[in-house]
Amino acid sequence: MKHFIFVAILVAILTVVVGFGLDAIGLMPELASLQGVVIDQLFRMHIWVISFLFALIIGFMLYSIVIFRRKKGEEGEGDHFEGNTGLEIAWTIVPLGIVLYFAFLGSTALAETRRADPNAQNITVVGQQWSWRFEYTDYGFSSDELRLPIDQQALLLLKSADVIHSFWVPEFRVKQDALPGDGMERELRVTPTKLGTYKLRCAELCGTQHAYMLADVIVMEPDQFDEWVEDQLASVSDDPVERGEVWYGQYGCQACHSIDGSDRVGPSWFGLYGKEETLADGTTLVVDDLYLHESIVEPQAKVVQGFETVLMPPTGQSMTDQQIQDVIEFIKSLGE
Amino acid sequence: MTNQKVNIFSLSLIRGMVFQVFGTLVGMGVVMLIRLLMGLSAWNAEPVWVGGAFIGVITFLVGTGAFRDWTKMAFGEQVSEHLEVDPNQPGWAKYFNISYDHKVIGIQYGVTSVLLLVTAGTFALIFRTELAAAGLQLLELNMFNTLIGLHGMVMIASILLGVGAMSNYLVPLLIGASDMAFPRLNAFAYWINVPGAVLVVSSLFLGGFDTGWTGYPPLSARAPLGMQMFFMGVYFIGFSSILGALNIIVTTLRMRVKGMGLFKMPIFVWAAASTALISLTATQLIGLSFQMVMFQRLFGMGFFDPAKGGNVILFQHLFWFYSHPAVYVFILPGLGIISELLPVFARKPLFGYKWIAMSSLGIALVGFFVWAHHMFTSGMAEYLRVPFMYSTMLVAIPTGVKFFSWVGTMWRGKMTFETPMLFTLGAVSIFLLGGLTGPPNATVATDLHLHDTYWIVGHFHATMFGGFIFPFFAAIYYWFPKITGKMYNEKLGKWHFWLMFPAFYVQSLGQMRVGLLGMRRRIADYDPALNFDFSHLLITIAGFVIATAVLIFIINAIHSLRKGEIAPSNPWNSRSPEFFLPSPIPEHNYTDYPFEVVGEPYDYGLADAPFVKFDSVPGAAAD
Amino acid sequence: MTTNTSDIRSSYAYKTATNRLGLWLFLLSDSFVFAGLLVSRFYLLGNTRPHLEQTLGLIVTAMLLVSSFFMNRAETAVANGDQKTFLNGTLITLILGIVFLIGVVGVEWQLAPFSAAEDVHGAVFYMMTGMHAFHVLTGVIFLAIVYRNGRKGLYSAEKHWQVEAAAVYWHFIDVVWIFFYPALYLIGKVVG
Repeated sequence: MKHFIFVAILVAILTVVVGFGLDAIGLMPELASLQGVVIDQLFRMHIWVISFLFALIIGFMLYSIVIFRRKKGEEGEGDHFEGNTGLEIAWTIVPLGIVLYFAFLGSTALAETRRADPNAQNITVVGQQWSWRFEYTDYGFSSDELRLPIDQQALLLLKSADVIHSFWVPEFRVKQDALPGDGMERELRVTPTKLGTYKLRCAELCGTQHAYMLADVIVMEPDQFDEWVEDQLASVSDDPVERGEVWYGQYGCQACHSIDGSDRVGPSWFGLYGKEETLADGTTLVVDDLYLHESIVEPQAKVVQGFETVLMPPTGQSMTDQQIQDVIEFIKSLGE
Repeated sequence: MTNQKVNIFSLSLIRGMVFQVFGTLVGMGVVMLIRLLMGLSAWNAEPVWVGGAFIGVITFLVGTGAFRDWTKMAFGEQVSEHLEVDPNQPGWAKYFNISYDHKVIGIQYGVTSVLLLVTAGTFALIFRTELAAAGLQLLELNMFNTLIGLHGMVMIASILLGVGAMSNYLVPLLIGASDMAFPRLNAFAYWINVPGAVLVVSSLFLGGFDTGWTGYPPLSARAPLGMQMFFMGVYFIGFSSILGALNIIVTTLRMRVKGMGLFKMPIFVWAAASTALISLTATQLIGLSFQMVMFQRLFGMGFFDPAKGGNVILFQHLFWFYSHPAVYVFILPGLGIISELLPVFARKPLFGYKWIAMSSLGIALVGFFVWAHHMFTSGMAEYLRVPFMYSTMLVAIPTGVKFFSWVGTMWRGKMTFETPMLFTLGAVSIFLLGGLTGPPNATVATDLHLHDTYWIVGHFHATMFGGFIFPFFAAIYYWFPKITGKMYNEKLGKWHFWLMFPAFYVQSLGQMRVGLLGMRRRIADYDPALNFDFSHLLITIAGFVIATAVLIFIINAIHSLRKGEIAPSNPWNSRSPEFFLPSPIPEHNYTDYPFEVVGEPYDYGLADAPFVKFDSVPGAAAD
Repeated sequence: MTTNTSDIRSSYAYKTATNRLGLWLFLLSDSFVFAGLLVSRFYLLGNTRPHLEQTLGLIVTAMLLVSSFFMNRAETAVANGDQKTFLNGTLITLILGIVFLIGVVGVEWQLAPFSAAEDVHGAVFYMMTGMHAFHVLTGVIFLAIVYRNGRKGLYSAEKHWQVEAAAVYWHFIDVVWIFFYPALYLIGKVVG
């Protein structure tokens, strides 16, 4: 019996040390969303149960290793006992209760993260290799950074133009994949609770540049947000070249095409218009409006030599004709 | 013995490889011919390579002679039960040849497994070096992505082969059989791995692939040609897994020695049979899912192409229906090894034998109903999330039973700490870390944060090291004297353990730490603003220490094999029947040493309660 | 005592029982492929089905069902030592199997008004019928081997494991089609 008392003390000490130690380190990053509150609470409970169970098993193991081990010169075998049905039943039932309780907590917490606010702001989030675009459908403009007013729920409608991406801002805790295809839009609700600038990080491997698929997330005071919205609405330019530059950022062109002649995954746009290009099949052509239009809508139709292995997504299919025209004007303006 | 000359073209391995090269070329030619006849241009890299690679695998098997006996049998000719060893060849040659001896096949599996382990580990060292600091220093992005994908899949292949090694070598010995139920199938199941592994690694040279080991479409439908080689290689390795599993189940049910009831089998056999149940069935679905992506790429079939009405989520369901239970394929045999070795070194009975046996089966069966917990954030149907959370949580119950029973086995045991026991205890502690970090991922709410982060990477590396790597090394050290007749070097063994064990904790805890703070999985470069550089440097250093430990193991194995001390026939004073045979174990196991089971397998510490009774005294035959 | 056990173990009957267990486990494994295909079909197509030639579907299905009857007759015959009925039954099964293959791959694939690459209906149809046809083809080869060996008189009433295996495999393929036929031809609204 005295062995059990010693082990109990050992386990208690270990639990406290591990549990408070982990608490003190601070495991999670800064919390900046309402949805994250329940998640952090639940995670902390998990950590305490983990600390206890780790201490329990390790405590018994260490004690057995140190106290009962075969000492030098000792003979004979260990105590002969083959099991204990009562114990086995106990350590089946008790953990069963614990995990079912945690599953229950998990489902209520999940419901909490999905609680809908009827006044939520609608934003469509489009992932594409390798950038994000945020369409503020309530206002009718789009942006390449996500700005949110503090303490107001945003209902994000996630979709993808090509492969699977995943929306994750670590400070918001919640995560949801963005899928390609009609009818595959998925919802995610976020209520930011802390002013600041965060990073949206694509959390689903989406190809070569996955590591760099980031976007700024800025949580602002509501009046500042309104100002920003005003600015955005006012800044829709009359100049197609300027508009084209905006689409260049928002539709992810910049991930692969430089505008200063430097090398990226795709051909640079600098001085592209009017240039003679050699295609993969050996023929040559002069880059004109028609060719650019085709390459934006149907990229694989005529691939330039040296870029055969690069698969550009059909970006143009999610753009309006006006937008494509703007982009072509923007390309024309480069290197003139 | 080593002076004998061997014509290398008499070796199955060499013949197979030559055949594979020629077969691939012929296959490529055939596809080009068909394309010409269909009025297409002859060269299109993808179909030509895929056709060639497929034919290459078949010709490899023809070249090794794996089909020879079956062809004879199909035409009604008699074939001998055993493949006679050519007496003119030196002893090592049989390991490069087709053999029907389960022990030879077990060694073939084991050595291939270690080779793949080293390959995949090298990939990991390369990209860990890249990750030691923020920014890109060493690799370009596509290469990084290819390497992480290959590290994952080659490790999986290595583990599957390691599991095959343990099951093949041990199951017949532990149940007192002279061989597996289907020796030819056994040989075939091993040999198909070789061209399969070649294909998987060849993807590195055919453009690589940027999807990671999971190969999710639509990304995998657009990835470079390497993707196809990866899919096809895995397909064949999976085929091996299915056939091997079938053999294990039949062997367990039909080949047990007299007196060995199901609950008198050494506990590892329960683990191996439960594992086989998963491999036999679930593997088909990863095969199907990979095949569907291959066909989408080759023939434009739009299963996962949204433009054609396909659905990308379907792939994930099919893929995880295997790939989650597969995790239990990787760990259950290892947990079986832990249960097998603890009583021997604690000198007392296994605590709750039946509960442990049933928990293996329980994990295997529950494992079929939990796959969608990998998809909590995937955008699958919402209503599936909560039920899959509950089912996943249930896995904790049988796993808990194992831990508590192990503690019960250690309690009041007279433990000694030779290398196999060190690895067993290390496995328990590391698997504990891996197991306990599971429930937060199984809980949907917390998983919303944890999914696809380095926390997950840390979690499953802990389960893999605790559930496979450590027990695998424990098993190798434990049975090394039985396999080779030589004793391994205890000092090097202890070095191996004391380097690997702490280094692993640093690596795994480091990964979990950065993951919680916002480090995503599978990224070649991380934001310097996150201040992860130091943690990543530590993880990388720990990775290199682990690699050093494995190197020490390999040196130990080779050195002990050549110059080790002659081992006694039962160095651990075990009750298991194979330890009553001479070392190394004779070719047909118990054929000359018949025995029957008369007691319980783990009655250590009980006088006059033997487990097995041999007709003659086999101890005399040893040495 | 132990020598006695090993005698039993090396007997034809014991080995056949072991083989039988192996075969059934293989079929269990294989049925997961077909189950996976069925699940995919319902996941992707839901309550719709491709436009197919109904009469032809009915004919090939009938062929396959009838072939199973002859295979069963052949197997019973060989077990009773009736070599003639056995050989005839096997041959008829073999021919019906080939007719089925021609019906599906040779005719239905040509008649179908869509290609595999067209949309997901085409993909599912060609994948399911293709995978099944591949199994029928292996079954036909298996039957051809059995027929050849049967003509050489290699099977007796006591020793005919290959015949049994071929028969069981053939019935399995048949059962799979019993699930595939309604899934492709009967359930759901026609699309395209």
